[in-house]
Amino acid sequence: MENFQTLKLLDYFRKPIEKLGVDYTSMRKILQVKLTMDKRRVPTIFTQSNTKKEGNQFLKSLWLYALFGLANIPFILLGDNYLFQMSIVFGIAMFIIMTSMISDFSSVLLDVRDKTILQTKPVDQKTISASKLVHVIIYLFFLTGSIMTIPLLVSLFTKGILFFLVFLIEIIFVNLLIIVITALLYLFILRFFDGEKLMDLINYVQIMLSLATIVGYQLVIRSFEFINVDIHITLNWWHFFLPPLWYAAPFEWVLNGKTDVYIMIFTVLAFLVPMISIALYIKLMPAFERNLQKLTAQSTGKSSGRKESFIGKWICRNNEERTFFRFANQMMKQEREFKLKVYPSLGLALVLPFLLFYNEVRFRSLEEIASSQYYLAIYICLLIVPTIIMMLKYSGTYKGAWIFRTAPIQHPAPILKGTLKAFLVKLFLPVFILQSLVFGFIFSAAIIPNLVAVLLSSFVYTVLCFLSLKKALPFSESFKAGQQGEGFTIFVLLLLIGPLIGLHYVSSMVSFGVYFYIAVLLLANYFLWSDRTFQRVKIRFND
Amino acid sequence: MDEKQQPILSLEDVTMSFNNKMVLRAINLKVYKGQIIGYIGPNGAGKSTTVKIMLGLIEGYHGKITVFDNDISDGKVDYKKKIGYVPETAELYDNLTASEYLSFVGELYGVPPEKVESKARRLMEKFGLEEVYHSRLSSFSKGMRQKVLLISSLLHNPDLLFLDEPLSGLDANSVMVVKEILAKLAAEGKTIFYSSHIMEVVEKISNRIILLSEGQIIADGSFDELKKQNTEGSLEQIFNQLTGFHQHQEIAADFVSVVQEV
Repeated sequence: MENFQTLKLLDYFRKPIEKLGVDYTSMRKILQVKLTMDKRRVPTIFTQSNTKKEGNQFLKSLWLYALFGLANIPFILLGDNYLFQMSIVFGIAMFIIMTSMISDFSSVLLDVRDKTILQTKPVDQKTISASKLVHVIIYLFFLTGSIMTIPLLVSLFTKGILFFLVFLIEIIFVNLLIIVITALLYLFILRFFDGEKLMDLINYVQIMLSLATIVGYQLVIRSFEFINVDIHITLNWWHFFLPPLWYAAPFEWVLNGKTDVYIMIFTVLAFLVPMISIALYIKLMPAFERNLQKLTAQSTGKSSGRKESFIGKWICRNNEERTFFRFANQMMKQEREFKLKVYPSLGLALVLPFLLFYNEVRFRSLEEIASSQYYLAIYICLLIVPTIIMMLKYSGTYKGAWIFRTAPIQHPAPILKGTLKAFLVKLFLPVFILQSLVFGFIFSAAIIPNLVAVLLSSFVYTVLCFLSLKKALPFSESFKAGQQGEGFTIFVLLLLIGPLIGLHYVSSMVSFGVYFYIAVLLLANYFLWSDRTFQRVKIRFND
Repeated sequence: MDEKQQPILSLEDVTMSFNNKMVLRAINLKVYKGQIIGYIGPNGAGKSTTVKIMLGLIEGYHGKITVFDNDISDGKVDYKKKIGYVPETAELYDNLTASEYLSFVGELYGVPPEKVESKARRLMEKFGLEEVYHSRLSSFSKGMRQKVLLISSLLHNPDLLFLDEPLSGLDANSVMVVKEILAKLAAEGKTIFYSSHIMEVVEKISNRIILLSEGQIIADGSFDELKKQNTEGSLEQIFNQLTGFHQHQEIAADFVSVVQEV
């Protein structure tokens, strides 16, 4: 194990840490092991790509955070309406730090192995808690450093030393607040719910962060458009619940000399709340450790899935297919790793058409758009189809797939068909229906036949994607093993959306052309979804 | 049993409850140097709980526990320096290599780094694991992990060993080796507290058997003593008799009849 620079730096604090009654030598060893393990972990922000290399992935992801940090600069430069500007700066910073804290450091706070491995050794609880805290602080230091260094420097050179100092001190307090709030949030959830709920929450935050990364680029670019807006905030009582405002207030006080009651209360809150929550945290730490045991306890779930089996009865022709429809449904709903990889792109598909609209609205009026063929933008939904169909092969629990091979299944056709249908019902349709509603609202009910055509061509597209991608049994391969060499196929498949839109466009030029197009699509679907197509599929078993 | 000796471990009226459910009801137990104790009982009898309490993993018990003359409720952790522990669930930091993990654990127990390294390497060799010494634990099979856990519990030459199902996942040859190791360790004066569900093994290696049922000790003595008290022959049968379990044939018959339905 290497001797980390961070730990060498920590050695300077040896004396004060020992004063607190912590066994420094043991703490250092624990941290060394933890940092070594972190080096071998991939942070959420990178899960979209398939990098599995040595070296601290976290440190390598820092430049991405630095990029996020740049989004703060325009708000710092904007003017001297600090309450507005700085609350946005702190809002952005808190969002990024908090989400990455939950998604990447939950494993630090919630590592249940610590109990069996560390507490059975001659190491006291205080040292274990201290090493957990220092571990989190080390990371927050890097994270905040990469997000805030450039904005801090910019503020130093444009706003002067006083601004810089207030900014710096507040960043430290914000971090304290975030550590404690996260821990208290976990404590709260563990107190009232079981570990599964907490894991779900972490999973959703991870999904949100991944989505925010994708959409973030768009928003950052657009945020520059707000720059010249002059904004006056009228303060209300509910503003007290917005921490970014607390941290914006001291700037008004120190730099603009404002001493309104609101500003002063905010300032006090900014410093007092972190202090109080730390006291609370220290007090509740033992309870937290106790409740952590719930993470390993079995939870009693209730049976569900009546809705799915009802739908399954309608859309699946035989029992075998129905079985796998239900199975795939459950896997998609429950497998966290799968959700983490797939749900962000679902979110993207949901947002993208509207981003396109947003661009259009700036040049044309909504009425103009409504009378155009711009509803074809809904085809963007199809972008997610190839990647998700590729993903259907993978699972975090891929080892369970032996059951497919030992069970007496004649041909995998029903497995594949059931899974594809589950994908359409569970993942694709919700996105599509939601968008159809919005599109229908904008373009009037007249586009309904067109939406039907889009839906039918997406069914065609699904089968085409499946047939051209590498085939394997659903959920049967490891995420780590896979995902190579399919990039090109996916690229070609994405290009295929173009002709689909083209055909639709051409058909809509002729009167009643859409209905003719629908008829053609129905026919195509009939052949593509027939058992014959699927029975011709060859599955490659790899073991 | 040498009663004049100081007990290594003693439990006096130890009671524990989770959410108003009594898990341990007044456990009284004295353990002496060199004993291999087979700690057995049905699932949920409180075996793991007892061990976890003694290791300070679970707090909130009532009664008095003394390990090496220290009352463990005093909050000091030094008594753990002479204890080795193999947990039931093979929990490891599996992102680490065997070498890294073993050095880490050894050093936590206060063994000097140079010494841990060579000791761990030699012990791994003995188990035939020298080739994977620098591989990540995540690539290890269940049996290999179990061997690493065993080594990690012995690196600091402990006087007292808590082993929770230490043979799980090991092949027959390794089982023989480990059984022999335990016997040798006990002969060297180490005390072994051993819990398992495999009665044949417990019967063979323990010189004292403690049977726990519903949070109470219902039998305590050597295998021969237990045989005398009970009419049954094997430890498995004694186990069934003492825990009041006689329905195994009926349950099996019912089970099979459900299987036949289809």
